Order: sequence, then structure tokens, then C-alpha cells
Amino acid sequence: MKKNSETETRKRKKFLTMKRRRGLEALMFLSPWIIGTCAFFINAIVSSIRLSFSEIVQLKGFVMEWVGIENYEYIFVYDINFMPTFLSVVVDTLINTPLTLVFSLIIAMLINRPVFGRGFFRTCFFIPVLLGSGYVMAQLLQIDATGSVGVGIALPPLLQNMLGHTLSAAVQPFLDRITLILWKSGVQIILFLAGLQSISSTLYEAAKCDGATQWEMFWKITLPMISPIILLNFVYTLVTYFTSSDNKLVEYVLKQVFTNTQFARGAAMGWVYFGFVFLLCGVVFGVLKLVSADAEKEK
Amino acid sequence: MTTKLKRIVIRIFYYLVLCSLSFVFLYPFITMIVTSFMSDADLINITVKWIPEGLRWSNYKIAIQQLSYKRYLLNSLFISTVGTIGHVLSCSFVGYGFARYQFRLKGLAFAIVILSMLVPIQTIIFPLYMQYSKMGWLDTYLPLLVPTFLGYGLNGAFFIFLFRQFFLGLPKEMEEAARIDGCGALRTFFKIMLPISKSSILVATVLSFVWHWNDYFEPNVYITSLAKQVLPSRLPGLYALLNTEEAMDLVMEEGGFTFNNAMLMAGTFLVILPVLIVYAFLQKKFMEGVERSGLTGM
Repeated sequence: MKKNSETETRKRKKFLTMKRRRGLEALMFLSPWIIGTCAFFINAIVSSIRLSFSEIVQLKGFVMEWVGIENYEYIFVYDINFMPTFLSVVVDTLINTPLTLVFSLIIAMLINRPVFGRGFFRTCFFIPVLLGSGYVMAQLLQIDATGSVGVGIALPPLLQNMLGHTLSAAVQPFLDRITLILWKSGVQIILFLAGLQSISSTLYEAAKCDGATQWEMFWKITLPMISPIILLNFVYTLVTYFTSSDNKLVEYVLKQVFTNTQFARGAAMGWVYFGFVFLLCGVVFGVLKLVSADAEKEK
Repeated sequence: MTTKLKRIVIRIFYYLVLCSLSFVFLYPFITMIVTSFMSDADLINITVKWIPEGLRWSNYKIAIQQLSYKRYLLNSLFISTVGTIGHVLSCSFVGYGFARYQFRLKGLAFAIVILSMLVPIQTIIFPLYMQYSKMGWLDTYLPLLVPTFLGYGLNGAFFIFLFRQFFLGLPKEMEEAARIDGCGALRTFFKIMLPISKSSILVATVLSFVWHWNDYFEPNVYITSLAKQVLPSRLPGLYALLNTEEAMDLVMEEGGFTFNNAMLMAGTFLVILPVLIVYAFLQKKFMEGVERSGLTGM
């Protein structure tokens, strides 16, 4: 009798050990996401990649034929519009993304201190997020077809006279770019603020006792502590530039897909652009890892 | 004395920078509100920049009519509310799983989360469209809403990441105590973890609501019938009204009027007004939530 119950408990243990139970619970918590991944993500990714290597023979029923790298060859060799658009967007991204990060970090640090009217300033910097990135923002900034901004930072008339027409015309695009960047950094500011808030103040106090200057504290404490957020913000910024409605390349890709019905070429272009974004993220991730490894070595 | 003077100068400079920066943000916004109240005469008069001759509410009346405001407001409210609920529920649930459990292929699973954050919707919109058309989901709100309950949808991965970070920062003792007292995993999550993650829920709610509200790309692709459109999708029609010369003179029951920039701005303001109201109510709590979300140490 006693032996019997012992084997029984052992049996039960075999089926539901602590480890197994934890595993099942993990599965339960992840189950919505797993279903979502199978239903809405993997499938779409795989068929989009397959589509980029194929040609649609028959639109009805979506019949594809494998053609290898023909689509990629087409966009790189034959399509005269793709490469210039792609390169200009790449250059834009390479300039705008670091600037966005720098500006949003500066603003977050400015409003992280105890200031009079802190709530007001915070709401100000969050306004662009509320207005979204689509039609409303385009209308408010009066972005025209050339991409210049109607109501951005303008040079004061006095300064314009001093600089002369040519020089002020050269400075204005730069100011336009800054306006746009500031307007697109709402979420980044919020995320940086969250990161700055979670740095323990004892670190700064200890550094102060050791005679560190503000400048040193920024490089040795603030920056390493928020490096995960820098990565998150970097990814977020890249993706929002990627998907924003005033991105020329996205416009071009969508035109290929929905107007010219070149689905396969559109997919190939999308993946080329994704490759670029992925590469950039990889580089930044690697650099940040090196930096943090260096910091640990110094310790 | 000099250090004190230096401090004051720095302080003044600091406020100057803050004020000028916030002006850059506020300027277009204020311009919109001011312009929306202008009459025809004010619009032409270049001396009127900030203070119009009087508040012309009729601009709003016309904008409401042109947008068919009420109907589309309800559409947008429905999508944003349900989508937000979906995101908060599913992403907190999944984020908790990622934060607290160790299992095989966890690295791979999390890499897929990051990947889904990176792959923009424009790249995979066409296969998704084909899939939804096979499922018969086109021209319904299902393609917009169902994925949000499964950790996908608009920036779903971002919210999973947010909740994971938050739960990682919480001490494990409470859950262990609950486990020892015989509390199951589900009950631990819903009765203990969810109530103490109010701050993150609030951040996710505000962001998800605002993003859903302003999104027009996916709705424009999936929804074809006019009656089911969302509010922001109505704006291009309004802009087109301004640009086409034939449509300039619309005849209303009360008589003819010219559709002008003021009415356009009134319409634009009306589109974002619900978001502003939601934010105004949650503003203070939202900022506190941001500060407590503990977004460091990935």
C-alpha cells in the first residue's frame, strides 16, 4: 500500500516536474504571441521574400513562378529611378537619425532637471506625437512637394539682411531639416526621459564627491547607463523614417505595387531597403556592445 | 559673487533655450488654432497674424459637415479603443512571459519580436492583403483589430518590449510568496502583477491610442467602403476640396460659401481633438508612468 502510493507520486512527478510546469506556464503566457506570429508574421514574411524572387504569372489565384534574382537585377541594373531615390533616402537617414537622437537626448536632459513649468514643457514636446505623422503633420508643417517646410524655424529678417540672400538661402534648408527633426522626436524624448529618470542619483552624488565635472559625468555615467535606450530609440527612429509618408522610397515602392501592379519588384525593393535598415541596426548594436565591453574593462 | 552671477546667467540662458525650443513645437499648433477661427477678411489681411477679428465658429460647422464628423469619429473611436485594449492585454501578458520564464529558444523568440519591430508594414502589406482577402476579412475592421490581441498590429512588438522591460525591473519576491501560498500563474499575473503595473499600462494605453488614431496606412489598404473609413483618411478629401477650383464654391442650404484655409484648419483640429482630450485627462499620470517605467538595462 505504502509502496503503491510512492510510485504514484513518482509517476505524477514525472509528468509535472517543477521544470515542466514552468515550461507549460511559459508556453501559456507566450501562446497569444505564438499564434500571432504564425498567423500574421512568419507567413507574410516568407511569402514576401518568395515573391521578391518570383514573377506573378497569373494574378487570379496568385500563381507565382520562381525567377531567381531577376527582380533584384532589374531594380539595380535597369530601373533608373530606384538607385537615386534609394541613395538619397540612405543619405537622409544617415544624417537625420543621429541628429534626431542628439536633439531628443538634449531636450530630455533639459526637462529632466527641476524646472519651473516642467509639465508645460513636457506637454509641448509631446505635441508632435499626439498629432501623428501623417496628413495632420504634413498639413501643419506645410511640407510641400520639394520637402521644404512652410512654418519651420525661419531666419529673422535682420539676420537675413546681414547674411545676404545667397547665404541665408543656404542656411534655410538646414533649419528646415532641424524643424522636421524636432517635430519627429516626440517619442524619442519620452523614452530618453524614462531612461534618465531610472538612473540612480547616488551615482551622480558619488561622482561629485570624487570631483567629477558635469561633462565627465555625462560621458561616464549618463551615456553608458542609457545606451540600451539609445539602441531602442535608434531602431524606433529608423523604422519611423522607413515608414513615414514623406519617405520618397516608400512612395516609389507603393507606386510600383499599387499603381503599376509590379508586386514582385515592389517586394524586392522593400527587402533591399530592409536589408539596409537591418545592417545599420546591426552596426549600431555592435558598436554599443563594444562600448559597454570597454566600460566594463575599465572597471 | 561672480559664481552667483554666473549661475543666474546660466539659468537665464537655460530658460531661453527651453522656451525657444518649445516655441518651435508650439508654433504650427497655435497657427492651426488661430487660423481655424479666421474669417475671409482675416485670412487676406497680412496684419492679422495672431489675433483674428473675432471667433468664427461657422468654420467648424462647415468642417464638421464636410468631414461627416460624427460617423467617422465613431469609427475611429471604435478602432482605437478596441486596438488599445488588445495591445494592453496581449502585450502585458506576453511581456510578462518573456520577463519571468526561462525556456528553450527564448533567444530566438525574442529575436523574432525585435524583427517584427524592424520589418515595416509596407514590406509585407501585399502578402497580408492577399491573406486577408482569402480569409474574407477585407473591408472589415478585423485585420486592424485581431492582430492587436495577439501581440501584433500597430507597433505591437514595441509594447511587448515595454512591458518586458517593466516586469524585469520588478523584484521577484512577491511572486515567489504568492507561489508558496499556492497561487497559480494566471492568478498571480492578473491579481498581483497587473495591478502594480498601472504606470506601464498607462504609457501603453496613451501611445497605442494615439498611434491607432493617427494611422491611416493600414485602414486605407484594407477598408474599401466609404462608410467604414477612419477620420484621418477623410483629411485628403478636405485638402483636395481646397485645391480644386470647381469645388471652391460649395452651395449649402443657407447659401454659397467658399471653402478656405480656415475651414481646413478647423477640420484638421477636429480630427486630432479627441486625442488631445484623452491626453489632457491622462497627461500627469502618463508622465509619472514614463518616469517609473524603468526603461534601462536591456
